[in-house]
Amino acid sequence: MTTLWAGLVVGAIYALVAVGYNIVYIASGVFNFAQAQFVMVGAFTASVAATTIGLPLWAAIIGAAIVGGIIGALEEILAIRWLRGRGAHNELVTTLGVATLLSGLALAIWGSLPRPLGYFENARVLDLLGGRVVVTDLLTIVAVITVTIIVGQVSNRTMLGLASLATSEDREAGALRGINAGAMTVGAFVIAGGLVAALGPLIASKTYVIYNVGDLLAVKAFVALAVGGIGSYRGALLGGLGVGVVEIFAARYLGTAWQNIAIFVLLLLILMFIPKGLFARRVARAI
Amino acid sequence: MWIQLHTYRRFPFWTLPLAVGIVVMFLPYLGASRGMLRLIISIALLSMLVVGLNIAFGFAGELALGQVAIYSAGAYCTGYFAVEGLGLPVTFMVAVLAAIALGIITGVPGLRLASWSLGMVTFFMVLLVPDIVQLLSPFTGGSAGLAGIPPPSLFGHDFDTESLYILVIAVTIVVIALLRNYIVSRHGTALKVIKQSPDLARSLGYSVPRMKLTAYVISAFPAGAAGCLFAYDHSVVTPESFSFSLTVAILAASIIGGSSSIYGAVFGATVMVIGPLRAGVFQEFALVFFGLLLVVGGLFLTNGAANLLDKAFRRIFVKNDLMPDVREALQNPKTLPQLTGCRLRVSGLNKNFNGNQALKNVHFVAEPGQIIALIGPNGSGKTTLLNAISGFVRPDSGEIRVGDSPLTRLSAHHIARRGVARTFQTPLIPRGLTVAEVVASARYRSEATSVISGMLTLPDTRGAIRRDRDTAISLLSVMGVVELADVLADDLPLGTRRIVEVARALASSPSLLLLDEPASGLDEVEVHVLADVVRRLRDAGATIVIVEHNFEMITSVADRIDVLHLGHVIASGSANQVRNNPAVIESYLGRAARQRAENDRGSDRSWNPR
Repeated sequence: MTTLWAGLVVGAIYALVAVGYNIVYIASGVFNFAQAQFVMVGAFTASVAATTIGLPLWAAIIGAAIVGGIIGALEEILAIRWLRGRGAHNELVTTLGVATLLSGLALAIWGSLPRPLGYFENARVLDLLGGRVVVTDLLTIVAVITVTIIVGQVSNRTMLGLASLATSEDREAGALRGINAGAMTVGAFVIAGGLVAALGPLIASKTYVIYNVGDLLAVKAFVALAVGGIGSYRGALLGGLGVGVVEIFAARYLGTAWQNIAIFVLLLLILMFIPKGLFARRVARAI
Repeated sequence: MWIQLHTYRRFPFWTLPLAVGIVVMFLPYLGASRGMLRLIISIALLSMLVVGLNIAFGFAGELALGQVAIYSAGAYCTGYFAVEGLGLPVTFMVAVLAAIALGIITGVPGLRLASWSLGMVTFFMVLLVPDIVQLLSPFTGGSAGLAGIPPPSLFGHDFDTESLYILVIAVTIVVIALLRNYIVSRHGTALKVIKQSPDLARSLGYSVPRMKLTAYVISAFPAGAAGCLFAYDHSVVTPESFSFSLTVAILAASIIGGSSSIYGAVFGATVMVIGPLRAGVFQEFALVFFGLLLVVGGLFLTNGAANLLDKAFRRIFVKNDLMPDVREALQNPKTLPQLTGCRLRVSGLNKNFNGNQALKNVHFVAEPGQIIALIGPNGSGKTTLLNAISGFVRPDSGEIRVGDSPLTRLSAHHIARRGVARTFQTPLIPRGLTVAEVVASARYRSEATSVISGMLTLPDTRGAIRRDRDTAISLLSVMGVVELADVLADDLPLGTRRIVEVARALASSPSLLLLDEPASGLDEVEVHVLADVVRRLRDAGATIVIVEHNFEMITSVADRIDVLHLGHVIASGSANQVRNNPAVIESYLGRAARQRAENDRGSDRSWNPR
């Protein structure tokens, strides 16, 4: 059970980044390679807030969300918007560039060693459902599930969510219905960036505050998305949790060298046999 | 100083890079320093990695980030077998086979989802390199590295520093030459079509997943070869050589040189090796620098240095005159060859889109030498019917036959290979192709040549390229636009692009021709020209189905008009019969209009729906 808890925590982190991928993808059709770096952005913001400024935790979280949102907006405005309508796959290159740039900046400023986070240092350990789990980890799971449900509800039930879906289906048609597609896209980057960064401090209590935390996170969150089906929030959540559990069980029973390989094999199998994922909702499109 | 277009086209430009390559290869005998040679080896190895990425990303449109992992596989395989005492031919083969195997393992699943899934799969593969090296440490030496790799030996000859250098450059030249041939053979054009419009590719009979996989596996093989040479050159292989930042550096080099070029890879690699990769000073800023390069390069260098150079060269030196075969065709216009149309028979076709019955028990026949027009209000199922015939929509029930072969459950590219050609509502003309190339792209499947034959430019490829050109020129001559054969097709006005699309549809000698709203957006003169072309095709024996709103054009060409309404054929007959059919009037204009029409007819006036 302790292993299961550990898997769920790791999985919650993947799920969060996968939700971020979805928000951006649904609103703009762009796959944001840099999404996972916002965990790092949030973590470093919190670390600086705690150790240099001495802010309380709630302020650090708000700060992380603001920084994440601003970076998300900058990313869209500087690296995505200009590419629209050119047809090529260049946003893959530019978002990978943004990801590299963000982790490169962290490396250049703070070096390659992990930084202290400054919060949650003496978190209690709970005995829960026959397993042991740290309070912050439990908090991470709960926070991610809550965020996913809220985002999912907003996306499916409100005008904002429907408008975002409409622009992803057909940008011009959406614009003709009076949807501001440009604002929609920036908004999605801001929300995705802010949300993921806001939970960065919590996640960093698990992953360390280090410049390259986003690299593996990016691909594993993608696995979560592939498992759950691109565009589905429920899929992102369940896919993320599933991937986390598989990873930790592989590490426990096969050895830590196997944990990433197990996820890679899972990804290949999913793409091979259920390429649409378990909860896909996109329909086939004809000319 | 102007060069004639045909001189430019015929001039063997490949001799220039080859000559440069050979000079570089013999630099050790021209007194180059050790340091210089080391630098050039780095450039050569990086060039191979970049040129592989260019095939996958620049040409096939799939971002493959796994070059580094494949490179490491090549290096470790070579290292292991060389330490075991095996010679260069064996280790090289093993390295290349390992590369191809990795390409297939990651490519088959990676290409099944949207365009970035291969990117993610391959990126993951790079991040796994340290784990796998650790797991296989009995073979790889773990994090300490695989040391003591002997210099390569070939048929009893042991290589020294100079001859190893020559080997590296020679292999690089051969690899680049093979890939260059692959691209300039017909496969390059086909990849451009696939990258820009998979739908168009399928309608031309291309098997998109297969061709993407082929291109991706081909893109892996240079990385394997480079890994082999890397192992010999360094004589020790450690996991640090295959880092994430090398992945980013490869991508940056590709973008600097131009992702859709071959020689650009060498240029990009040279810039990266001489610049950022050598300057140890800003090691800690390397990621920042690469990241900026990717963002800026991705935004502004869509074409890279190589293509800019080529464009500038063409603009400054090449005179835009006509090629000799075009001039010949202008003097002696070609006539349309006899076309062998087949009978199209659609029976009982149904299609339901989430509760919206787009086609309801549709029956429909078109004979060779006939033009059948499908009309109907928007949403009546015309385009769905066309898509069902050409395989882009799978019908729920019913049957479609062309000649004797049933097409009902086949996918689009199989249907295209059975002789169904189509045009599109918005013409699909890939960027960067000349009109003649666009037309010839339809012959890629009907006269298929292998990838190997393309790489080696074997006689069958050369013959096919010649016949591609001849077919394109004669069809363009028939259409009356042959003077445009060598201009870029996507710059042309809409009417001309539609004509080019028709020529392309004819290039595979189809037995059924489907035209999807060919007249929309054309002015009166253009409609006239198009109608004339369509009539001539019919007279040559083609079976033609045309979906159109322009009633005037239809009345001037169609032998029969079928009217669709809410997925039903509600009327069928000549223009006059259809025009006066009460059901048709009602479907277009509603009941009130029908009553008015009837009243009008009572007062002996004819009614015209437009």
